[in-house]
Amino acid sequence: MSDPRDDVISVGALAAEGTHSAGDPPAGIRRVPSGVDGLTTEHLIINMGPQHPSTHGVLRLLIEVDGEEVLAAETSLGYLHRGIEKLAESRKYHQLGTLMDRGDYVSGMHGEQAAALATEKLLEVTVPDKARYIRTLVAELTRLASHLVWYGTFGLDTGAMGQFLYAVRDREVLLDILEEISGQRMMFNYIRPGGVVADLPVGIEKKILDFLTDFDVHLEEHHALLGGNEIFQMRVKGIGTISREMALAFALSGANLRATGVGFDVRRDRPYDAYPDLDFDVPVGSTGDAWDRYMVRMEEMRQSVRMVRQCIEGMPEGDFTAKVPKVIRPAEGEVYASVESSRGETGVHLVSDGSPEPYRYHYRGPSLFACQVLEEILPGHLLADVVMMIGSLDIMLGEADR
Amino acid sequence: MWGKGLINGLRITMRNMRRGPITLMYPYEKYDLPERARWSVVPVFDEHGDPKCTACMVCVRQCPDHILDLEITTAEDKSKHIEHFRYELGACMMCGLCVEACPFSAIRMSHDYELARTDVAALTYDLLTDTDAASARKNREPKPAGAAPPEGGEHSG
Repeated sequence: MSDPRDDVISVGALAAEGTHSAGDPPAGIRRVPSGVDGLTTEHLIINMGPQHPSTHGVLRLLIEVDGEEVLAAETSLGYLHRGIEKLAESRKYHQLGTLMDRGDYVSGMHGEQAAALATEKLLEVTVPDKARYIRTLVAELTRLASHLVWYGTFGLDTGAMGQFLYAVRDREVLLDILEEISGQRMMFNYIRPGGVVADLPVGIEKKILDFLTDFDVHLEEHHALLGGNEIFQMRVKGIGTISREMALAFALSGANLRATGVGFDVRRDRPYDAYPDLDFDVPVGSTGDAWDRYMVRMEEMRQSVRMVRQCIEGMPEGDFTAKVPKVIRPAEGEVYASVESSRGETGVHLVSDGSPEPYRYHYRGPSLFACQVLEEILPGHLLADVVMMIGSLDIMLGEADR
Repeated sequence: MWGKGLINGLRITMRNMRRGPITLMYPYEKYDLPERARWSVVPVFDEHGDPKCTACMVCVRQCPDHILDLEITTAEDKSKHIEHFRYELGACMMCGLCVEACPFSAIRMSHDYELARTDVAALTYDLLTDTDAASARKNREPKPAGAAPPEGGEHSG
């Protein structure tokens, strides 16, 4: 009698024979070890993505599993690379927003804001108060819209369906408001060096306040629907724990960092635009698991609602943009400006050589770091939790791959 | 009690079942776009039916995607005539930078969002002859644009 295991094709053996080899990995890339443990089960390497509905874009994961348990994971990035940083070198300064919109395409305003802040630092322009408030207002509305996408898809990742539709219902109203303000629903191109491109349309304040009145109720409904669900709690509590040290070592930011107990928020610690004038709390977690990340993001939404209200109440009179030359030629130099986007610290490092186009444009996307921490937190968990953990980190591949 | 959250969730679902639909029956119903909505670029004509465009090339230089192109011939009396105002709809990201930059308001962002084409070649066209706005204007012989543009000089696409 032959061993039944002889019929099973070993991935490792195939690779060794060269029939299934993908060649040597590029320098610096670690390939997940493969093989048979010799005793009971055979390890299997699962190629998840880049075309997978639950990877929030085009993340590719190589997961080595022993039965249902993940032993090792390797993230593979670059499937959405469009060369934003290189393209920026042939764009004029006021055109950078169009690229940043397409980086983190769910929270476009934050990217635009980072590019505008960096350009303003180079130009040494003072932004009028009204422009600062409008920017803060639209940034917080975008954060709400982005967090609603995260909330909806995170539920999908854990197996809940209904709350996704409720989240999209609310986001739809937000996108309508943002479309009325900026002209487009996601690729806003609204925040420019010196201010914003146009004043708030007449009557938008009432629309926003009406939405917030509804949203106050809806947000608690969202939380009750997903966070109050015991099955969801069992799925996320204690899963995907990131320690404080690991979060700092991986340079995580945003809710992923705050869930571990580190209270760093660019809005509070390196304030920009109207945030110094606003009263808001920075929620922090304690254990750094998926549940904490969920709770921190839900609380962030409540804080965003508070901030939007304060922006509307305190909206000053005045110009919506500073006087900025049509062709921006900043002096030579380099600057870094960052904003707290929906996913964390989105920063822009600009190097100017005095020409109308940036000499070098670097874009710090928080999702890139969140993708890397996946390799550390996935091992030891069940295969079914992989998708949930990706969802809990709220990664955005447009920004990681840029 | 385990299961309380599940029952509460069902209650929220039931509450939502009572409200009306929030979707539109597209294409039978259409969404009213806000005034600032940006879709395809269309030309603007003056009251005589002539294009307002003076071929100053500002929009061509402003476009981040280089999808606008103007072909101009200059007559002996230095007057300019637009031969071709090429627009690549398929590559346009509707950022609106060309419209913002135009000193004569000769182009605008339309609210036409039904932009699917069955022919790839139909995605590149001449703004001044091939758009609905162009065919709707008065049927008269367009005068060559006489006014010299304030900037730009002589360019050819």
